[in-house]
Amino acid sequence: MSLRDLLRLAVSRLGTGKLRTGLTMLGIIIGVASVVALVSVGQGATEGINSRLEGLGTNLLTINPGFSTSGATRGALGSATTLTIEDASAISALPDIAGVAPELSSQQLVVAGSQNETTTVIGTTPAYPLVYAYTMWQGSFLNQASVDHSLRAAVLGNTTATNLGLTASSIGSTIYISGLPFEIVGIMQPKGGSGFVSPDDEVLIPVTTARDLFVGSDSVRTVGVSVTTQAAMNTANAEITALLDQRHGIGAGGTPDFTITSQTQLLSTVSSVSTLLTVLLAGIASISLIVGGIGIMNIMLVSVRERTREIGIRKAIGARGRDILLQFLFEALMLSVAGGIVGIVVGVLASGVIAVIAGWAFTFNPFTVVVSVVFSLIVGIVFGVWPASQAARLDPVVALRYE
Amino acid sequence: MSEPILQLERVSRIYDTGKVLVPALQDVDLTVDRGEFLAIVGPSGSGKSTMMHILGCLDRPTSGRYVLDGTPVEELDDDALAAVRSRSIGFIFQSYNLLPRTSALENVATPLAYQGVPRRERLERARAALTLLGLGDRLDHEPTELSGGQQQRVGIARALVTEPAVLLADEPTGNLDSHAGAEVIELFRQLHATGRTIVLITHDLEVAEAADRQVHIRDGRIAPDGRIAA
Repeated sequence: MSLRDLLRLAVSRLGTGKLRTGLTMLGIIIGVASVVALVSVGQGATEGINSRLEGLGTNLLTINPGFSTSGATRGALGSATTLTIEDASAISALPDIAGVAPELSSQQLVVAGSQNETTTVIGTTPAYPLVYAYTMWQGSFLNQASVDHSLRAAVLGNTTATNLGLTASSIGSTIYISGLPFEIVGIMQPKGGSGFVSPDDEVLIPVTTARDLFVGSDSVRTVGVSVTTQAAMNTANAEITALLDQRHGIGAGGTPDFTITSQTQLLSTVSSVSTLLTVLLAGIASISLIVGGIGIMNIMLVSVRERTREIGIRKAIGARGRDILLQFLFEALMLSVAGGIVGIVVGVLASGVIAVIAGWAFTFNPFTVVVSVVFSLIVGIVFGVWPASQAARLDPVVALRYE
Repeated sequence: MSEPILQLERVSRIYDTGKVLVPALQDVDLTVDRGEFLAIVGPSGSGKSTMMHILGCLDRPTSGRYVLDGTPVEELDDDALAAVRSRSIGFIFQSYNLLPRTSALENVATPLAYQGVPRRERLERARAALTLLGLGDRLDHEPTELSGGQQQRVGIARALVTEPAVLLADEPTGNLDSHAGAEVIELFRQLHATGRTIVLITHDLEVAEAADRQVHIRDGRIAPDGRIAA
């Protein structure tokens, strides 16, 4: 029998006993759908983390002040006010450092024409775009002169600009931050990202201006440091620690009043964990695929028993064992592959819904589809071949007598 | 006549039930010539079913020699036997044995599929065979939508479609009323008239009368004179 004849037979067989066919396929559908959905969810999570990794800036070290101690009460991490703008300048003089961006932030009401918004206003230095991997959309970033002279210049995050109704032609116009006029010198490209706070909703002003007008102190919340190369991360970390220890008068064995974190490393760890989880979940889901395969084997065995007489007839009119084997194998394959295809559709839909709910980009990997189809083919062969060989081995005399 | 189409020499078939050996056929010699219409007659339990299985290459003799259409088949493996069945034998069964949920046309075309005939050609040949048997207007009917007589004619069309060397009919009228049975027998007479070799296996002496020659079988042996006492 030709391949097309076998396919035609298998398809026509699917049509008879639709309930049974559907229930048998359900096992494979659930298995494939969960594999597809879980792999896609895992990839979505990993990609979210990766895009955040990239968005964080390259080779980023973050320095935060430590906790404050008043009497016996220890404040929260970052509550100390020991990290200053001068510390940041000192760090930028170290080797291996590409840029240092201190952040002096406060929430302010920002007004542009008839629009207003309360958002984060961050005082920083020209190194900010380098450290946090921003690029400019319009105008330019704050320059060193604006920091040196505490100019009232502002660069807007893309979301902020949109919220305030500002466009490309708004460069040079004036916005009011907490009632004080600032000149818009630039608008940044949106960075996106998957944090809880949009990295595009902020207003950047010179760090000195922020200190003078809004914060009234030197102490910064965060200093972002961009290290020249990935390889120099550890050296830079040690150098900064030594420098700050020295500047803050912390001797050997003393408790440092700052912490240095390498978020890139942290997030790459999270990323590898989520990859591991993906593999683990897919592994668990593939167990249901095996269960589905056993369902197919079960139904095929019943089918061989029920159709013993048909097998006898076919043998009498010239079918070889191989023809019978292929006929039943193709039926099992048809069940598993049809189930696999429906499962892929269900899985993709499910992962789309999950992506929308979780708020990350929906990822669709054609590779998963190929793997799922191949996997369900394998399930069909593995679990179909035994019932099919049972059918093929039937003695025609016995099979013809079977009632 | 040239060489016989079917030749059994001292063929025995002994079933091994595990406890006892049951001889169903013993030292049977039988020769059927090309174009002959032979009836093998015997009561139930006489070994005629075993005879049909051996003649139809569904089973192998325990001992003896069987030459079918020039091919010695007693030592062929399963696949080779299937090929011989496909090429040389046209089975007609008592209970029709049509494929369920399959149209008359597909039923008749199926033996050709096992011969690797392209689909277009086998549907054409199946249609021709069914039309020849007066079922040209029943091509798309499934077995359950056909009367017994019609089903048996589909079965005969299926046996004829491969142009086999021998038509092997096992109690072909057993499930039919006398009218439909007579029609089937008349059909056999017509097929015989066009030169086909037919072996008819039956317990019914009246049906056997339609054949040119009758061989009687009892207790696994051919009756010595070809006839048994009435």
